[in-house]
Amino acid sequence: MLYQSQKIAHWYFRIALLLFGLQVIMGLWLAFNYTFTVPQSIVDKFPFATARAMHTNLLVLWMLLGFMGGAYYIVPEETGTEIFSPKLAWIQLIVLVVTGVVALIGFIFGWTQGRPLLEIPRPLDIVVVIGALIFLFNVGMTMFKAKRWTAIQGNLLGGLTFLAILYLFGIPFYQNEVIDWYYWWWVIHLWVEGAWELVTASIIAFILLRLTGVERHVLEKWLYVELGLFLFTGITGTGHHYYWIGAPKYWLWFGGVFSALEPLPILLMVIDTLDHVKKRKTKIINPFTWTLLIGGAVFHFIGAGVWGFAHTFPQVNYYTHGSQVTVSHGHLAFFGAYALLNITVFYFAIPKLKGIDRYNPTLGTIGFWTTTSAMFLMGLTFGISGVVQSYIERVVGLGYMTAQDYLRTWMGVTFFLGLIFFAGVLIIIYDLFFIRPAEEEVL
Amino acid sequence: MSQKTAFRIFIIGTLASGVLFLALTWDTHRQVETLSHADKLSPQVIAGKRTFEKYNCNDCHTILGFGGYYAPDMTRVVQRVGEEGIRFRVKNPERAFADSWRKMPQQHVSDAEVENLIAFFTWVGNINNGDWPPQDSKKRMTRGEEIAVAAGGLSPGAAVFQNRGCMNCHSLHGKGGTFGPPLDTVGRRLDLERIEHYIRNPKSINPNAKMPPQKDLSEKELEEVTKFLAGLK
Repeated sequence: MLYQSQKIAHWYFRIALLLFGLQVIMGLWLAFNYTFTVPQSIVDKFPFATARAMHTNLLVLWMLLGFMGGAYYIVPEETGTEIFSPKLAWIQLIVLVVTGVVALIGFIFGWTQGRPLLEIPRPLDIVVVIGALIFLFNVGMTMFKAKRWTAIQGNLLGGLTFLAILYLFGIPFYQNEVIDWYYWWWVIHLWVEGAWELVTASIIAFILLRLTGVERHVLEKWLYVELGLFLFTGITGTGHHYYWIGAPKYWLWFGGVFSALEPLPILLMVIDTLDHVKKRKTKIINPFTWTLLIGGAVFHFIGAGVWGFAHTFPQVNYYTHGSQVTVSHGHLAFFGAYALLNITVFYFAIPKLKGIDRYNPTLGTIGFWTTTSAMFLMGLTFGISGVVQSYIERVVGLGYMTAQDYLRTWMGVTFFLGLIFFAGVLIIIYDLFFIRPAEEEVL
Repeated sequence: MSQKTAFRIFIIGTLASGVLFLALTWDTHRQVETLSHADKLSPQVIAGKRTFEKYNCNDCHTILGFGGYYAPDMTRVVQRVGEEGIRFRVKNPERAFADSWRKMPQQHVSDAEVENLIAFFTWVGNINNGDWPPQDSKKRMTRGEEIAVAAGGLSPGAAVFQNRGCMNCHSLHGKGGTFGPPLDTVGRRLDLERIEHYIRNPKSINPNAKMPPQKDLSEKELEEVTKFLAGLK
């Protein structure tokens, strides 16, 4: 840590970690609902829908807090100055966390916008926008005053601004269900396959720069190529969500072709990361950061790239659309691309914020392998469920619940794997809260 | 490759895709008017959409394939279970799903709201969306029936009965829905001709019938399923 104001990031990270834990608990409850019969009296008071709203909103909230914390950590070092206003950063954190807590409690009482992933009620959306504006103003002013522009911070700010603008498309009430879903994907797809990729790629470039000593211009060159490919394939690739919503037929072509190319930039990112590690000019101090960085890049490619590709063509998607296949892809992609990125940032920044040069990686390593293995197996069990469901319900044409009968066992296995995943998450949370310096003799 | 080239790739890639996407968005807006029958978006349909959102239905059910995956898709729900089927399930989920291992919450939806929901689902059900979902497709259902006949050793009529959603309401040997009467011995009560009329237009045989007329069945399907039901004695 070089600048005092970077300390704010620590609280963003800590709260993000707690919300991550809460998200997984809600996920366990959802898997339980898929496996066992929950009595009517409980379903009436706490339906699956409410738990799902909490599970997904916790995901968005903890990841955004992670990104914002990451930005507050990175921007001072990139600009070479303190954050414009640490006070605003605190206000922003409080505003967002309070909004999040009110929203989660509101869900239990049925206060919701009623649209998947965008359940936060419209009055609270305004508060979220205010929080985002404070953040962009604060980060933007820091860069503006420093008058030092780098590709990394530029793309980071660009990605975060893009992210905030897209959120606006999720706020209005659309009368036409088709148009509603059309713009719903502007938030969801253009976030995860657009804005978030910008943020991710910039953060990875920053960490690589700090750790490898590879020249900035080499890193930034690859950053631009990756982002160009991400946005080229990702923006029009949104069309793979428009196959069956009542949009024109040409989306089958545009969506299919562009999204089939979407794995390319991710693959480039994996190769590029490995290459920079190979050509590093500095000594590796914390090898665990590498495990995380490369593990994340590979998982990103499998979860988002391979799994996405698997059902992106209309001919396949006709049968798998809206089944557990989507759930499988969603879990692998979010975990591989964004959960691991955040964890990487936490393991990179938190020790430095605590003034620890070399930390003891034992618990972190156990946590990493537990969560990644459990999540990969969950991707498989969700995937098997999805294929079985697609075949029985969509190809053979038996009823929805008949198909669900066949999935029950696999969802039970998923629940069990979820418990293992949760154990891994608890280890990571504990480790990051109480991380200790490595003892010298370990050298 | 120089940094300048890389930057050019970034700008050109982003702009090309962005411009294409915005142009397609503009055209999509134009075409969705017809594809979705936007002229039929009555105040009741819009009120139904608000009801759908008010009770957070979409976090268990999917619609057009999006949402929670915990409950059936709502895109063609009117065609699948009929208006009365929707009313019964929304108003009395504890009875409709008494025998199911997965439940639906009782949310005390008002009568007016249920009617709005039905208007909304009817409108959604008519969106021209590339014949999705496959399980409710009129073109493809016969394929499922053929598979059931070939692989399941079912008579063609039994395959129609199983695949055409009859069991959403009716049961055989205790398997199936509870909304309509069990049909184990329907052949004793009604003869072949009456069953055929009943399926086409239930009210012509029983004025109090809640079953919707089965307009989607082809002549061949009607003939086979009638033969099958008449034989249940």
